[in-house]
Amino acid sequence: MMMNSQDKITASQAVVVLVNYILATGILTLPRTSVEKVKSPDVWISVFLGGIIAIIAAVIIVKLSQKYPEKTFYQYSQDIVGKWAGWFLSLLIIVYFFTISAFEVRIMAEVTSIFLLEGTPTWAIILPFLWIGLYLISSGINAIARLFEIIFPITFVLFLLIALMSMGIFEIDNLRPVLGLGVMPVLKGVKTATLAFLGPEIMLLLVALMKQSEKTKAVKVVLVGLTIPLIFYVITVVMVIGALSIDGVVTRTWPTLELMRSFEIPGLIFERFESFLLVIWIMQIFATFTITYFAAALGLAQLFKKNIQPFIFGLLPIIYIISMTPKNINDLFKFGDMIGNAALYLFGVFPVILLFISKLKGRKT
Amino acid sequence: MWEKILAYIPEWKVFMQGFIVFFIPYIIFKLFNGIVSKQEMNDDDMVKMTGQTTQKNELDYQKETSPKELYDHYTGDFNLDVELVKKEIGHNWDVHFREFNIGNTDIRAAIIFLDGLSDKELIDKHILTSLMGDFSQKDEQESLYEKGDFLQKIIKNEVLSVSDLTEEYDVKQSVGKILAGSTALIIDGMPNVLMLGTVKGKSRNIEEPVSEALVRGPRLGFTETLSDNTALLRQHGENSDLSIINFQVGKRTKKELVIAYVKEIADPNLVEEVKKRIQTINIDDVAESGYVEQLIEDNYLSPFTQVQNTERPDRVFAALMEGRVAILLDGTPFALIVPVTFSMLLQSPEDYYERWLPSTLIRLLRYLAAAITLFAPSIYISFVSFHQGLIPTKLALSMMGTREGVPFPAIIEALIMEVAIEILREAGLRLPKPIGPTMGIVGGLVIGEAAVQAGIVSPIMVIVVALTAISSFAIPQYNAGISLRMLRFVAMFFAALFGLYGVILFFILLCSHLVKLKSFGIPYVSPTVPYRASDWKDFMVRMPLMMMKRRPKMLHTKDSSRQD
Amino acid sequence: MKRNNMKGRFRLGLLLSLLLLLLTGCWSSKEIEDLGLIVGTSLDLETDSSSREALEEQEARNSNKELITITNQFVTSETTGSGAKEGKKEQKAYKNVSETGEAVLPTLRSMIEKNDKRAFAEHSKVIVIGEDFASTFNLTQTMDFFLREIEMRPSGLLLIAKNRASNILESIEPTTIPAFQLVEMMKGHKRTTKILPPMTLAKLQGKLNSRASFLLQSVTSENGEMKFAGAAVIEGKTKKLRGFLTGKELEGITWITGKGKGGLVTSFYEGTDQPIIYEILSMKSKIIPHVDGDNISFNVKIESEGRIAEHWVLSEKTFDNKFLKKAERATEKEVERLVKNVLEKIQKEYQTDVSGFGTRLKIEYPKVWKKLKKDWDQTFSEVPIQCEVKITIKDYGTSGE
Repeated sequence: MMMNSQDKITASQAVVVLVNYILATGILTLPRTSVEKVKSPDVWISVFLGGIIAIIAAVIIVKLSQKYPEKTFYQYSQDIVGKWAGWFLSLLIIVYFFTISAFEVRIMAEVTSIFLLEGTPTWAIILPFLWIGLYLISSGINAIARLFEIIFPITFVLFLLIALMSMGIFEIDNLRPVLGLGVMPVLKGVKTATLAFLGPEIMLLLVALMKQSEKTKAVKVVLVGLTIPLIFYVITVVMVIGALSIDGVVTRTWPTLELMRSFEIPGLIFERFESFLLVIWIMQIFATFTITYFAAALGLAQLFKKNIQPFIFGLLPIIYIISMTPKNINDLFKFGDMIGNAALYLFGVFPVILLFISKLKGRKT
Repeated sequence: MWEKILAYIPEWKVFMQGFIVFFIPYIIFKLFNGIVSKQEMNDDDMVKMTGQTTQKNELDYQKETSPKELYDHYTGDFNLDVELVKKEIGHNWDVHFREFNIGNTDIRAAIIFLDGLSDKELIDKHILTSLMGDFSQKDEQESLYEKGDFLQKIIKNEVLSVSDLTEEYDVKQSVGKILAGSTALIIDGMPNVLMLGTVKGKSRNIEEPVSEALVRGPRLGFTETLSDNTALLRQHGENSDLSIINFQVGKRTKKELVIAYVKEIADPNLVEEVKKRIQTINIDDVAESGYVEQLIEDNYLSPFTQVQNTERPDRVFAALMEGRVAILLDGTPFALIVPVTFSMLLQSPEDYYERWLPSTLIRLLRYLAAAITLFAPSIYISFVSFHQGLIPTKLALSMMGTREGVPFPAIIEALIMEVAIEILREAGLRLPKPIGPTMGIVGGLVIGEAAVQAGIVSPIMVIVVALTAISSFAIPQYNAGISLRMLRFVAMFFAALFGLYGVILFFILLCSHLVKLKSFGIPYVSPTVPYRASDWKDFMVRMPLMMMKRRPKMLHTKDSSRQD
Repeated sequence: MKRNNMKGRFRLGLLLSLLLLLLTGCWSSKEIEDLGLIVGTSLDLETDSSSREALEEQEARNSNKELITITNQFVTSETTGSGAKEGKKEQKAYKNVSETGEAVLPTLRSMIEKNDKRAFAEHSKVIVIGEDFASTFNLTQTMDFFLREIEMRPSGLLLIAKNRASNILESIEPTTIPAFQLVEMMKGHKRTTKILPPMTLAKLQGKLNSRASFLLQSVTSENGEMKFAGAAVIEGKTKKLRGFLTGKELEGITWITGKGKGGLVTSFYEGTDQPIIYEILSMKSKIIPHVDGDNISFNVKIESEGRIAEHWVLSEKTFDNKFLKKAERATEKEVERLVKNVLEKIQKEYQTDVSGFGTRLKIEYPKVWKKLKKDWDQTFSEVPIQCEVKITIKDYGTSGE
C-alpha cells in the first residue's frame, strides 16, 4: 500500500487530475475577485496572463520533479536540502494540502447551504462528503484518477452547455472598451487571477505516480492541463461580465451562479440552469478535496514511512475542524486568500530554489 | 494577538463532530474488516474441520474395511466382485444387476447399470446380444477361454460393438461411473471390469433462450447438458484455437465444469487467474453456475454483478473472440463470461447484427434508460421536497395542483409506489404464465388508478414510477436491471435527506465504488476510463464493423487485430 | 467458535444500526403543496393615514417615517388544483395579500400572520413599483432586499406603475394570473418599438451600482386591464423616478439605441398627407462621439431596412421606385422627428442620459469619460447631438398597388 508499483497513472489521467484540481472555487468567485482588483472589463486579459504565469510555475515544478522521476517531493526534498530541512518543507506542503482541502469543503458547504439546502446544518452537509472522499482515496491514485475521468467529461459538456445558454443575455458593450484605461489595471488583477490556478503543485507528486514510459510527457501534461482551465475561466469571466456588467459583478457574492439564475429558457425541460452549474461545481470541489486530501495523506505516509491507511483516517477530523474554523463567509474568503499567498511562496519561489540547488549538486557529482 | 487566535478556536461541539467524522467510518471500516476476516477465519475453520472429519472418516473407513482391505480392487472372483459392487450400491432401487453366461460357455458374467441413465436399447441390442451370442467359431482356442486376458481381448476386440470402453480396477471409481450411467461388465476370472459408455443423460431439445430473446440472431440456447453446450460452441465455426479445459467442482457431488477460451487471443494471465479461482471453489455441491459466479467474483459486497451470465452461444463466442473466458457448468444452461465491464451489461448481441446506426441509437437509449432507472425517483423527490425553485414555473404549478391533498411527503409517496411495483413484478414472475401478464396489468392499473383516486399518491408520481419500472426492463441483462433497481432505493434515501446535493453525493459514491471495482483484474468501468479512444468505438456508440478492427485493449489480448 | 459468532452478529447489528442513524432528519425538506408561490410583488407608498395609526398602535412607537404597502400575488395548490375540478365554483387563480410596514422584509414577514402557506419566492416573475414609491425612495435602498434574498431570482422583471402598483396585480378575468400576463406581454418588445427590452433584477444590479440613469418599462391599469405605456426615467444620481416618457418618446429612444427588433413607423405622404406604414425588419444605430478639447458632440447614425406594410396613397404604386424613394424620405423624416423629440425631452426636461450616449463615450474615449463620469447627466444636457437617418425599403409584400 505504501507505493504500489501497479498504482500508476497515464499521462492523460494526469491531465484530467490536474484540470479537476484547478477547477474549483474559482469558477464561482473569480469574476468578482478579479473585477474588484481590475475595475475594468479587461479582466479576461488578467485571467489569461495569470494562466500563463501558472504555466511557467508549473513547468518549473515539473522540471524539478523530473530530476527525481521515481520519487515524490516528500522523498526527494530530503535529497536536495538535507534530511531535516526537507522534512520541514514537506511538512509545510502537507499542511498546505490539507488546509486547502478543508477550505474547499467549507466553501462547498456554504454554497450548498445557501443555494440548495437552506436550513441543513453545516456539519450534516460536510460529513457525508468527507466520508465519500475517504472511501474513494482509500484505494489509491488510480481509483482517484479514474473517478476524475468520469467527472471531467460531464463537467466539460454541462459547462459548455450552460455557457452557450447564457449567450442570450450577453451584451458585448459590457466588455468594452478593451484596454481603455491602459495596461496597469490589468496587471493589478494578475495576482488574483493566478491564484485561481492553484493546482500545478500536485505535479510534485504526480510525476512520481505516472507510468514510467509517460513521465517524459509531464511538461505536455501541465501545458494541456492548465490550458483547459484557462479556457474555462476565460469563458466564465467573459460570460459573467458580459451579462452582468462590471458594476453588477462586484457586488455579487457568487457572480457565476447569479448569471445562471438571471435567465430562463422556457421550453427546454429545465428552464432554469443553475442546478447544472451546482452539479458540476460540487463534483469539481469533490475532486479538489480528494486529491489534496490524498496528497496530504500520502505525504504523511512517506514522511513516516508507514502505511497510508491510518493517516487517511487521522486527517479526517483535522480537515473537519479546520473547515469549521472560519466564523463567517468573510473569514472564509480571507482564509482562501491566506492559502493563496502561502501557495505563491511555497510553489512559486521554493521550486526555483530547489531546482537551482539540485542543478548545483548535479554538477558537483 | 492570542485573543484573536483564541477567538478562532472552534467550540467543543466542533471537536465532538470532528471525532464523529473520524469515528464512524473507522468503526465501519473495522466492522467490515471484522466481518470479512471472520468469514475467512470461518473458512479456515471449515477447512480444518473438514480436514479433521475426513481424517476421522478415513479412520472409520480403515477400521471398517481393515479386514477386507484387500478388496479395494476387483479380485477376479466373480461372486466376490459382484458382492463388492452390491455392497457399495446394491441397496439402490435403480441399480440393476443382470447375470448371465457368456457366449454359450459357462463363464459367469454380469452387467450392472443404472436404470434411467443408461441406454437400455444399447445394452439390449448391442451388449447383451453380442455377449450372449455364440462364441463357437473361437472354439479351437477353447482352452484359452480359461485365460482371462485372452477372453477379454476377444470381447474387447471382436464382440462388443461399443465405442466408449475402459477398463477399471478400482471398485469405488467404477461405482462412480455406474452411477453416472455407464454399464459395468464383470466377467468371472477377470481382475477388472469393463466400463461401457452407455450414458444416455436426460436432456431437452435446443430451444431459443427465454431470458434473452432477440429479434435477429441465432435461435439457439444452451441446454443443461455440458457436452451439448460445448458442442454448440464448436459448431459455431471451425477454430482449432478454441480450448475447452475441464475441471471438477463440488466436494460431495462432483460436477463437470469447463472453461473455454481462444488460445491465440486470450490473455494467459487471465486464463491462469480463472483457473486459480475455480480451483479454490470449496463447496459440497455446485448447484448452478450462479454458485460459481458468487464464489469466484471479486467483491461480494458490491451491488453489481461482476460475472456475466448468458444462455446464448453466440454471445459466448463473441466474448471469446474479444479475448474473454467462458465458464460452462454441467447441469445449467447459463454460461458465465469473465471479465465483465459495466458497459457490457447494457449491450446486446443484436447490436452487432443490426446496422450500426440503429444499434447506436438503441444503445444510447439503453444508457438513458439506465440513468432513468437509477435517478428518476430521486430527482423527483429532490425537486418536490427541496428545490421547487429549480423547476419551471408551469411545472411547479401543475405539481402543486396534483399533489394537493396527498398526505405523505414525497419520499414516502415514492416508497409506497416503488415497493408496490417491485411486488407486482415479483408476483408476475411467480404466477402461471397465462395469468401473469393479466395480473400485471390489473395490478398496475388498479393500484395506480385507485391510489391516485384515493389521494395517496399524485399522478405525476405514478408516471415517474411507471417510467422507472419500464426503463429498468429495457436493460438487456436481467441482473444488471436488478442492481440498478436496488440502488435506486439508496438514491431515493439520499435525495430524501439532502435533495439534489444528496443525488450528487450518491452519484459520486456510486462512481467511487465503480472505479474501485475490478472484474478479474480489469477495471469495471472500462472502457469509460482510463480514456482509450480505440475502445470507445464499441461503448456508447457502436461504430461500423469495418472500423472496429481491433479487439478491446483493456483485455490485453495476445492478438489485438481482428483482421489479418 | 460460538462466542466468535456472537461477536460477529453484534458487529453486524451495530453496522445496521449505524445505517439507521443515517435515516434521521430531513432538515431542509418542504413539500411543494405546502408552498404559496409568490409570482408577483408590488410596492406602494402608503398614503392612507388610518393604516399608519393602526401600525403605530401595534408597534407601540411613533414615527414619521414613510410607510410602504407590499402586495404579494400568491399562487397556491388550492388556486391551481381544485379550480379545475368539478363541482366547485370557479375561483380566482391567484390570491393577493397586502401588508403595510416600514421596511420590505418585516412587512413581508408579517404576511405569515395572514397566510397558511409558506411563502416561496423562487418563482417570482415581476416586481411592480408604484409611481409615488419610486419618486420617494432611492431604488438602491428599497431594492436591496430583493437583490440580497437568495429566493428572489435575478431573472425577475422590474416595472414601474403609473399610479398605484397594486392595481396592476388585479385582473378582471379570474382565471388569468396578472404577473404571468405581464411577463408574456414583455416578450412583445420584439415586435414593437414601444416596449423596452426587459430589465431584469440581474441587469438592475449593474445599473444601480453605476451612476448612470436608465429607463424602466412603465405600465398602467385601465379598467382592470393592464397596458404598457411608455417608460419611466430613473435618475442616476438619486435613483429616484424622474418622470415618464410616452410611447412615442420611447420609440425615439429605441431608434437611438438601435435595439429594436421590429415595429412600425407611420409617416405621411408628402402632399396628400395619406399614411404610409413602414415595418421595421432590421435596425442599426451608431452613436459616434466627437471629442475636441473640452467640447463633446455626438453623431447618431441610424440605418434601417424594412418594408411597406400598408399605404393609403391612391395615386402611387409600390412598383414605382420613385414612390419608394419618397416613402423612404418620409419615413426618415418621421424617425428623425421622433429622435429629436425625445432628445429634447431627456436633455432639456429630465437632464438624464438614458439612451447610451455615456456608454459610447466610455468605450471610445475612456480617459475623457473618467473625468466626466461624475456629472455626466449634467454634461449630457448641453451636448449637441446630430442625427442621420437612412431608411431602405426592401420590399412591399404581395401587392404592388
